[in-house]
Formats: sequence, C-alpha cells, structure tokens
Amino acid sequence: MVFRFLGISLFAVLATAGIPVQAAKVADSLVRIQATSQEPNYRAPWSGGEVVSGVGAGFVVSGNRIMTNAHVVSNGRFLTVSKEGDPKPYPARVLHVAHDCDLALLTVEDPDFFKNTTALEFGDIPAIESTVSVYGYPIGGDRLSVTRGVVSRIDFQPYSHSGVDSHLTIQIDAAINPGNSGGPVLQDGKVVGVAFQGYSGDVAQNVGYMIPTPVVQRFLKDVEDGQYDRYVDLTISYHPLHNPAMRKALGVTEEDKGVFVGSVYGGGVSDGILKPGDVLLAIDGLPIASDGTVVMNGEDPVEMAEVVERKYRNDKVNFDILREGKPMNVTLSLTHPWPFSLQANAYDEKPRFVVFGGLVFQPVDANFMAEHNPEDLRLRYNFDQFITQGIYREREEIITLSAVLADPINAYAAEFRYDIVDKINDRKIRKLSDVSAAFKEPADYYVIEMVGDGRPIVLERKAVEDARNRIIARYGVNKEENLEK
Amino acid sequence: MKARPIFAALALLCPLALQAAPDAKEKPDSVLPVDSSSLVRVNSTNQAFDFFRPWTKKAPYMRRGLGVVLADQQILVTAELVANRTYVELEKADSAEKSQAEVLVVDYDCNLALLKPVNPEFLAKARPLKLDTGARVGDSAMILQLESNGLIAQTPATITTITVTGYPMDQLALLTYRISAPLQNREGSFTIPAVRNGRLLGLLMRYDGRSQTADLIPAPVIAHFLADAKLEKYPGFPRAGIAFAGTRDPQFRRYIGLTEPGGVYVTEVKPGSPGAIAGVRKGDVILSVAGKAVDQDGNYASDDFGRISFSHLTNTVAHSGDTVEFVLLRDGKRVTIPLVLAPIDRRGVLSDPYQFDRQPRYFILGGLVFQELSRAYLQEWGGGWPKEAPQRLVYLDMFQSDKEKAGRKVVFLSQVLPSPNNLGYQNLDHLVVKKVNGVEIKSLEDLVKAAEGPVDGFHKIEFEDDPGFIFLDAEAAEKGKTQLQQDYSIPSLENLN
Repeated sequence: MVFRFLGISLFAVLATAGIPVQAAKVADSLVRIQATSQEPNYRAPWSGGEVVSGVGAGFVVSGNRIMTNAHVVSNGRFLTVSKEGDPKPYPARVLHVAHDCDLALLTVEDPDFFKNTTALEFGDIPAIESTVSVYGYPIGGDRLSVTRGVVSRIDFQPYSHSGVDSHLTIQIDAAINPGNSGGPVLQDGKVVGVAFQGYSGDVAQNVGYMIPTPVVQRFLKDVEDGQYDRYVDLTISYHPLHNPAMRKALGVTEEDKGVFVGSVYGGGVSDGILKPGDVLLAIDGLPIASDGTVVMNGEDPVEMAEVVERKYRNDKVNFDILREGKPMNVTLSLTHPWPFSLQANAYDEKPRFVVFGGLVFQPVDANFMAEHNPEDLRLRYNFDQFITQGIYREREEIITLSAVLADPINAYAAEFRYDIVDKINDRKIRKLSDVSAAFKEPADYYVIEMVGDGRPIVLERKAVEDARNRIIARYGVNKEENLEK
Repeated sequence: MKARPIFAALALLCPLALQAAPDAKEKPDSVLPVDSSSLVRVNSTNQAFDFFRPWTKKAPYMRRGLGVVLADQQILVTAELVANRTYVELEKADSAEKSQAEVLVVDYDCNLALLKPVNPEFLAKARPLKLDTGARVGDSAMILQLESNGLIAQTPATITTITVTGYPMDQLALLTYRISAPLQNREGSFTIPAVRNGRLLGLLMRYDGRSQTADLIPAPVIAHFLADAKLEKYPGFPRAGIAFAGTRDPQFRRYIGLTEPGGVYVTEVKPGSPGAIAGVRKGDVILSVAGKAVDQDGNYASDDFGRISFSHLTNTVAHSGDTVEFVLLRDGKRVTIPLVLAPIDRRGVLSDPYQFDRQPRYFILGGLVFQELSRAYLQEWGGGWPKEAPQRLVYLDMFQSDKEKAGRKVVFLSQVLPSPNNLGYQNLDHLVVKKVNGVEIKSLEDLVKAAEGPVDGFHKIEFEDDPGFIFLDAEAAEKGKTQLQQDYSIPSLENLN
C-alpha cells in the first residue's frame, strides 16, 4: 500500500512567482529528497542488493532539520536534498529514523542550505470535513504539486511501512501519489500531518492517509535525548465486553464499561502483570468503554491504546482491573518493546545467514517471506502464527534451509528446502547463532533434523571441509555467515 | 428364489466368454471383443452435505458412467460416481431399459464400488467380463465409451508406465497403469472401462487432456477389491502405517551404518498402525518385505511390473489380516518382524480425510455452531483450500492428523448464528475448543455432555485461540432454541451420528 516513490533523475527547478501566499511560504520550507538506496538481497544474503533511486518530499522543521517519511530514506546509501529556487543538490544524512511510525529526520551539513528557509510549525488534529492542502513531488511532473482535500476520517490504522504497527491516522480525500511521501499537509499555515500512504491500483479512489501531529510530536519528543526509543506496546489482546452473560460472569457491574484481556504475550511489558480474563476498567483513571475506547482531553473517543501510544519508554501505565471479580489496581512500566518482531518489515539491516556445506540457513522474517514467498504450508504457518500460537515460546527465531548451493556433498538436500531446522547434532535450534555454534563444534557427522517426519540431513565433516573453498569460489560466497543485524 | 436360474445361466455363460478369449487374441485389437451387453450405463444422482451448514444438503446433481458387468450380476464402477448418492439407476446401452441399483460395497480409498440391480431379471442376458491382470508396460488396450445412440466408441491406448501412485482420496498409494490415449469428451465420464481381448484391464481414474495421458485403476487392484468384497464384512485395503525416506545419499548411508546396497530409512510409524503394533521403530532400515529385497528408493523388482514401490506388496498383494515379514536393520543387526496387516482405522484420526454418504456431525449451543474438524470441511473453500481455509485448521489437518492417540477429534466453533444471547460473539469463527464448563473436549460427545452442566447459570467455553474464553447464559440459550431453529430453518440443533 505504501507508494514506491518514482525514480526520477531530473531535478525540479521551481520559481516561486505566481504561487499563492500559503504555497509561497511553504515553498520556503519544502524539500525534494533524492534517495539512492540498496535493497538487501535475501536470496544471496552475502551480497549487496540492487541499487535503486527515488524521489520523496520533506519539510524544514526547527533545529535545521528536515522531516520526511522513514520509507523515503530506508536502506539509504546516499541522499541529496534540494529546495525551491535553488538549483543545487545538497548531500544530507539521516539523524533519526522511526520505522514503527514511518517518520525520519534528516539534516544537511552545509549551513547555506537552511538560509532563507522557514521552519514550519505544527497544528492540532484538523476537524472532520475541514480542508487541508498536500504538498509534494508526486508523479506526473517534476515540480511542486499542491492538492486539496477534506479530512474524511480520524482513526487507528495500520502503518504499512512496518506492516505491524497501528497508530492514529487521518484519511483525506486529496489525491496522494508516489512522490507525495514525506510532504507536509497544511491547514491555516500550520502542518497538521505528513502525507505517507494511500491505496494503489483500483482498490479505492481519493483515499490518502497522513500521519497526524500527535504521532509526529511524539517522535520529535522521543528523539530529544538523541536517540529514538520506539513505541512500547502493551502486547496484549483485548476484546469488547458486549455480551450480558459475559459481563455478569466476570462481575462487571458498571454499564457499558470494560474490556477483557484475551492473550498476554510472553516477554512483553504486561507479561506477569496482566492475565488472560482480566477486565480492564480504566487506564490512567480514564474509564474504558465496553468497545475499548476512552475519551482523552475531551476529544472524540479514541482506541484505548492511544493512551499508551502517547507515552515514552519507561513511562508507567495504570489500570483499574477486575480479576476473578475482585477490583485491583496494577501499574506496569513500558520498559522495552516486544522482542519477537519478525513479522515486521525491517530496514537498514543486513540479511542474517549461515552457509555450511553449501546449505544456506536463514531466519524467517517478513523480509525473507517477501522475497522468497515460499509455498511450504508448515513454514507459512510458523511465520503467520508465530505470535498467535505462541511459537516464540519454543524458539525465538524460525531457522529454515533457504537454499542449497548445489555441490556433490549436498546432492540430496534439495528436498529439504524451506523445512524448519529443529536440531543440529541434538542441539535445539532456537535462533541463528545456535546454527553457527552447532557447526563450529567438532564432530564427524553434522546431523541436521528438520521439523516434521523426514530423515535428517547428514554432512560429513571431512566432505564439508573439502568442499568449502570450491563452494565459496563457485557461488561467490564472500562471507559464510552474518549473525548481526 | 427366482434368482437361481439366472445364476445358473451366468455360470454357463462364463465358459463361453473364456473360450472366446483365445480367439480374440489372434485378431487385431480393432476387432471389438466386448459388446454392449457387458456394459451398462450408470446414472447416479448425488447430493453432498453442506459442511458450512451441516444441517442441510446442497443441490443434487447427476454423474454418469459406464459400469462393467461382472459375475453374479454385479456392476463395477468408480466410487467417485456414487459418492453421496441419493438414487442410482442402471440403463441398458442398447434398449435404454432402466432399473434401480443398490450399492453393495464402496471403497473410496481405492475408488471402486460394486452395484447390483434391484430387478434380478435386469442383467439376465448380460455377458459378464472377467479380469485380465496380466498387462505389462507397452501392451495395448481399448478404452470404451458409449455414443448417445448406445453404440460403443473405442479408443486405442498404450500402457506407458506401471507404478504405485496416490489415489484421489490421498489415503493410499496403489498400483496404477498410466496409459496414453487420445480420448474424446463424452458424457458418462465418471467410469470409463479399459479392456483387452474381451477382458477388463482397468477403470479410468483421471485423464489429462493436454498430455492425453490417463491413469487406470488396474485389474490387480480391482481383483483385490473384489476378493475382499466377497467377505461378510468388507475390510478395506491394508496399510503398514510406516513412512520412509530413501537412502541414496552416501553420507547418510555411512551415518546410519548401512553397508548393504538397498534399504529405506523409517521416518515415522503411525500410532496404532500395524507397523507400530509389530514394533517397527523410527530409524529402522527396511531391507526386505515379503521376501523381496527393497532398494534405496523403496522399490522391489516385481516379476510383472519391474521396479515398483514395496507398498504394493503390503496393500494390494496382501490382504487385511495377512502376515508379511519385514527384515529390518536395527542397531547394525538384522531383525525379522512379522507384521499383521490391517486397514487404517479412520475413526481414530484427528481429522477425517474424507467423508461421503454421512451427515456432518455438529452441535448448536446458543447459536454457536460446533463441528469436528474434517478434510471435507476445509475443502468447502474450494481447490485452493490449503491456502484459503483457516490456517490453524489446515495445519491440524495436514500435520497433526495422524500424530494423536486414537480417538481424539478437534472440536471447533465454526460459526455463530446471531441471536440475542450471543451478542458480542458474532464475529467469532474457527476457534478450537479446549474446555466447556471445565471439562476437556476431545469429541463432540464430550461437548454435548459438558453442556449439560452449566456452572452458576453460565456455559464457560474455553478456546485454544484468542479470545481464550466466553460465557453464555445457559437459560437464555435453552429458551432461544425454538426461535433459532425457526429463524435459520434448522431441522435439528445436533447431529451426532
């Protein structure tokens, strides 16, 4: 759903003459970003991937910084920015990037760049039905484009850049197209959002999304200490309490209040504090309605999660709960994000792998699945249900035999492709480093057992040693393992 | 006792057919040794149950095929033709005279069924066919179809391969003749016989129009089926219950200490199967079966068919109840184990691999529909069901089905029929049930029994999946029964048969 911004190599040279007042002012702070990035290669993980270039938008904010979307600068190798009325491209670098809310801050070393620019100010959440203007460099031309739209909906929505995070989002009916990404959305001269995603193809028309200012402001505040700490989620599932029998059985007396906890995910901040079956009645003193919404600062009702959304690492959250009918008060600290994030799209990371005897082992994550798209039903199940079926409790990573670099020593291993590694020489494989460690142990035979009912793969140590240089040379494997992200 | 003279007449006819055969052999294949009196059209009206609405059947449809008349007025067809039958009718090819038929035996594993006309006079003049089990690779055969005017259309075919492959129900791998034949599409495609010299070689099981190849259920499999069908209780094709992997990889052979040339590695022995009862273990190497050496791929040298899978010995050459000797290599020593073959007990599997002719089991409590997992339920998603159907259920069906101890079923909430007492639950579906009112659920019967004991006026239903549990008002659920049946036209709120 996220627009792939278009690779246009021409630079826009834009005169400000003839542009209306608001646009003229915005033009002083609008930035065109030319990004060259290298996509990681999950099929030949030891090699660097394809180099692509694209164009996105950004805008100057306080402190000589440029705000844009994380997806504009992800996997970036070289960035240049240019501003309206200045033909010169300036090299830029990323200060902070937040993949979980698709925002990034850049800066330019050349102090000349920020001369004559105006840092834009931020406004509040615009009212439904009010009009906003979207600025950027969308496809269809090289110069600044402005479109207007109406605020259609304010809601919690998934952010497709990471694929797993949901935050407050504003839907507008202005056309947002590839190249609009990272551009400011203005109302009354103030930024009320950052354009970031839309629908591609014929799915829907005139549906564009922007990141609203509570999310943007939170990002700016988070990085004030010099680093981005990410969102910390409660990592529970909770469900509406609409059924009268359910309410009665759980001892909920107050009308239309409370939600119940379905799952508490292991390793998260609620683990050991909240329990499945707990009824959540209030969060930080705000009553929780039976559909899971709360009213914050007299605003329209928002999803309960929004209270946690506006908090930072190590902040506390307080709940009034009912546990087995007894009222209790619990407090949890947002100390760390959930550790098992393999379902999120990852950026700015190198693929991790181990090559042994021509067998390539890789952890299964969203990037891997996107590139390999394996049909294997067991592998897909383990990936898709990793959280819901608690597979993370057995292993923190799913390691698969992703490829066989054909050689006489592995001539019979092809049938095991996309199987999940269960054990190597009786050592349970819970993460990639276990694979590396198991192969470093001296042994006559390396016995690789896969999940399921097949036979093990057996490699003789001597055969592996004899084949090593041959395989490295033949397949150009310049690195036999990478365990670090 | 009217049937007696006809049996006698048939007995007289048989030797005639035998005498005719040697003559026919001398003639080229174009001389048709089978006439339409050995064939009968079979029209089966079938009606499948709707697994999404297990209290109803789907619309009826008709399948047509060309049955083969065997001795004793029995008619052989494929099981697929009569699956979920409501009415089976025979129709003579030449006169279009009709008679209702009853199904004597049906076995979906081998895809064969045996019918008999209700009217005992109906096939009095038919000329029964015998089996020819002697076909070899390269032999010619004739595929028989009926024109709409009752004339026989014949297509020459050549047997290109004889191998052991999976049959449509995916439960057994049995002997198959693969033939090459340019068949035309005609009505009655659900049973098409292949003959040679006046004898039956096999029935078509599937046909690929593009490559013009077809698979036949061959005479040896039919012979096994017919022999078993004579028994008082049809036992079904036996299975050893042993999964194995080949041992071509020399590193693997050295690792397991296999110095002999052949042998396959046992990777799994299904609980409760003949292999498990006989004590075959994971890691054993099967060296020979029934006196035949097993090679690295699991094949043996058959006198008749060349190299084919040894499973032919355990599921077709042998019958249920027979003992077959397995020679195993275990811990470096040769062990001989007698294995008493038995058919698979499908009642014992977690997810029934197929279900015909029986209404799906279900139980409705307060609008919540509970069912037992079966492959047939998942197949309601169509051909792409492994990807389309709920992933958790597909996983249980495909990877857990034969792992569990015999008897456990997966009971799941398939859907919620919205009614006042299930407000708030109406989006729930495909949740595996763990407990009801504190009682662990291993079958639908468990659930029905547990639902008799609500606690403090509530049914507590616990799931293996999120949201974990729900409560139902027991009294409201009970009171709403009639209304629910009326609203959704449900004749009964349960079927446990």
